[in-house]
Amino acid sequence: MSTGPYNYSYIFKYIIIGDMGVGKSCLLHQFTEKKFMADCPHTIGVEFGTRIIEVSGQKIKLQIWDTAGQERFRAVTRSYYRGAAGALMVYDITRRSTYNHLSSWLTDTRNLTNPSTVIFLIGNKCDLEGQRDVTYEEASKFAEENGLLFVEASAKTGDNVEEAFLETAKKIYQSIQDGRLDLNAAESGVQHKPSQPGRNNLSNDQQANKDNCAC
Amino acid sequence: MVSEPEKEHVLSKRLNKILESQIENDDETIEALRELSTFYTENSLQARRNLRSQIEKRSLDINQSFLSAFKEVKDSFDFVYNDIAEMNKCIQDMTHRLHNAKSQTKQLLQKTSALQKEKEQNLMKQKVSSAIIKTFQLSREEIIALHADKNKSETPLTFDTFKALEHVQEIHNNCKILMQAGLQTLALDIMEQMTLHQEGALEVLYKWTQSHCRNVDNPELSDLIVHAMAKLQERPVFFKYVIDEYCICRRSFLVGEFINALTRGGPSGNPAPIEMKAHDAQIYVTDMLVWINKAVPIEKQNLHVLVKLCSFEGLDDMLNKALANICEDICQPLKIRIDKILNVPNSPSVLYAVLNMLRYYKKCILKVITGGQLAETLKELEEKSELKFLNSLTDQVNSLLVRVEAPPRDLSPTSSISNLLSILRDMLSTASMSEGREVDMVKIANTVLEPLLRAVNEQASRLPPTDMAVYLLNCMYSMYTCLTMYEFMEGRLERLQAQSDAQIDTLTSEQASSLVANLNLGPIYTILQDHSQGPLSGIPGMEPSNLKSFLSKLDHLSTHPDSILLPQINLLLSSKHKKSVQKRSFDVLLAIYKQLYEAVHNPVNQYEAPDSILSKTPEELNAMFS
Repeated sequence: MSTGPYNYSYIFKYIIIGDMGVGKSCLLHQFTEKKFMADCPHTIGVEFGTRIIEVSGQKIKLQIWDTAGQERFRAVTRSYYRGAAGALMVYDITRRSTYNHLSSWLTDTRNLTNPSTVIFLIGNKCDLEGQRDVTYEEASKFAEENGLLFVEASAKTGDNVEEAFLETAKKIYQSIQDGRLDLNAAESGVQHKPSQPGRNNLSNDQQANKDNCAC
Repeated sequence: MVSEPEKEHVLSKRLNKILESQIENDDETIEALRELSTFYTENSLQARRNLRSQIEKRSLDINQSFLSAFKEVKDSFDFVYNDIAEMNKCIQDMTHRLHNAKSQTKQLLQKTSALQKEKEQNLMKQKVSSAIIKTFQLSREEIIALHADKNKSETPLTFDTFKALEHVQEIHNNCKILMQAGLQTLALDIMEQMTLHQEGALEVLYKWTQSHCRNVDNPELSDLIVHAMAKLQERPVFFKYVIDEYCICRRSFLVGEFINALTRGGPSGNPAPIEMKAHDAQIYVTDMLVWINKAVPIEKQNLHVLVKLCSFEGLDDMLNKALANICEDICQPLKIRIDKILNVPNSPSVLYAVLNMLRYYKKCILKVITGGQLAETLKELEEKSELKFLNSLTDQVNSLLVRVEAPPRDLSPTSSISNLLSILRDMLSTASMSEGREVDMVKIANTVLEPLLRAVNEQASRLPPTDMAVYLLNCMYSMYTCLTMYEFMEGRLERLQAQSDAQIDTLTSEQASSLVANLNLGPIYTILQDHSQGPLSGIPGMEPSNLKSFLSKLDHLSTHPDSILLPQINLLLSSKHKKSVQKRSFDVLLAIYKQLYEAVHNPVNQYEAPDSILSKTPEELNAMFS
């Protein structure tokens, strides 16, 4: 298992969340395929994408869950928060409502993920400057107040897309280096070495249990 | 002085002599006497007197007769003389004439010898000329061989032509020697002549070859054509025209044969015409492709026979193009027929079989031909059939998923999901044996699984969280078991695994919450976390009796682990999932128990006889549950 696509040191799990139609799937597609997908259908439940990147000389496989924005799939998508090491929270800079919902998304994320999960705020569709409805400063302030990383990106032009995914990975990798992230915890969203089916599932996880019990 | 005695002597002598003479011994006298006796018959005086005159008379008579006799002789002599004179004259004439002749002959001789000389020279010249002609000119036969008979439109070509052509070439080469020998004009003339011959002959050859090249597989002509082609390669233009002509012939022949095979079949309908089986797409396509796959190598072989003796740069390229050219016309009928099949709605498995046939035969045929329309057509058809196949598969999937069914009460995958998975399994097992299976299998899996996953999510989204997790796990487990049997599914499996993990997490948390609630552990856990309220034994809800009852419940649970499991957990199809959820939720309990155990045994919390309250160590409990 040390050749080809398996030749990486870590798997990081990401989750992409945000309102319907903010361009979550397009961001993922831009990141994995380096192409803009026009007429992207609504995501049903979750979609999945992977890409191997390199951070500080380490090969890291990103396992990215792209969730449906529609409310009716919330139950399905909630399952995926738990295992995420990184959460990309997306809003549409041309639609204020998507920005206004961020706090509820953030609450969900904070509740369902572990404290070390890196949350990255992305203001998508920055190519549509003329239709801007949320200023950079406002969003930047919100990010700062909540301790989020922030960037405005465009899935259409590819601006900042790569950066958002890579910055998140760097931050996670930093947490590992600092020892803030427990690799043995299944819900850390990080696995050392390629997945071996069933093994992680059996590993004990205190962190999650506390969460479960707290609510 | 003669003395008297003497005189007397002479007389005496004479007398003596008379006396002594013996008349009887003298024949003349006897004869004379005998004669005398004949006429002197009487001895008389008269007679004596007349004797003399008689004798004289007699002598005259004799003389007379002498004369007449001699006269006669003389006449004879005269006659002879005349004759001789005549002869002499004749001879003289002859001599003269001979003389003349002699002088005349001399001239003639001179002339003759001159002519003789000339003749010898001429002979020599002739020898030289014929040698030159032999060396530097063509024989009549050769010329005929070269230029064919102008009276006949079709002359069979023979090997003489090639010999003649070689001769022409040889002569052409020999001219160089001639040039060196200083005979430039001659050499140039001959060279020109030979060039003309050569051009003429090559043209004849070209025309012949052009009209016969199609018969290269005819054993009688094959050799000739091959040689002709070898000759023609000296003239690239002719060579190319012949190849072009050949291509045109073979192309129409090939398409004719193909149409025959399609509509008429072999001689007396055996094998049957391919179109008889047009109702069975798979056999129909296979038969057509088999036919082409058989015909194309033969064409290639023939083409190579044609140029067996040729070799020049760019020949291979030319042959490749020629072969592609030959195969051009069969593209259209093939394309029309396969298009027809592809445009009729067919089951994905049939279309997949067609795709595989196209793929296989494309590979085979492309080993023989390089580029060209047939290759294009096959590629096009392959792409189209792949598209049609995937479309048909998508249609099938969509028609099965058109209605979102509610999951059954046992939360097992709905029948349409199971159906689709069995279709997927069938397709994958077929695909796993085909060429390029990796790409195919991934495509097939994507085509089926994408809508399937969407449908499953759609169904699940209408369920309460626990049911949702169980249903999703069951569906993903079915997919997982379906895919694990095949190669190249790692990406898919990884995704399903990750998705299952997420659902197991959800289920674990649901189960753990349910256990905590069932065992009334909620308040205990909250109190345990809060260290501000002094000794635990004093806090309501943490009384030893309460803890004891908790332990007894836990005991009961350990013996009947199923009793407080969420009912949905039992609906999990995978025992591994079930065990995992069970184990992990129990682990949560054990963790809390461990915390409680430590707290109870901690003197700070002022429990009396902690061992009697919690009689089991966490390790013992762990052993009981595992």
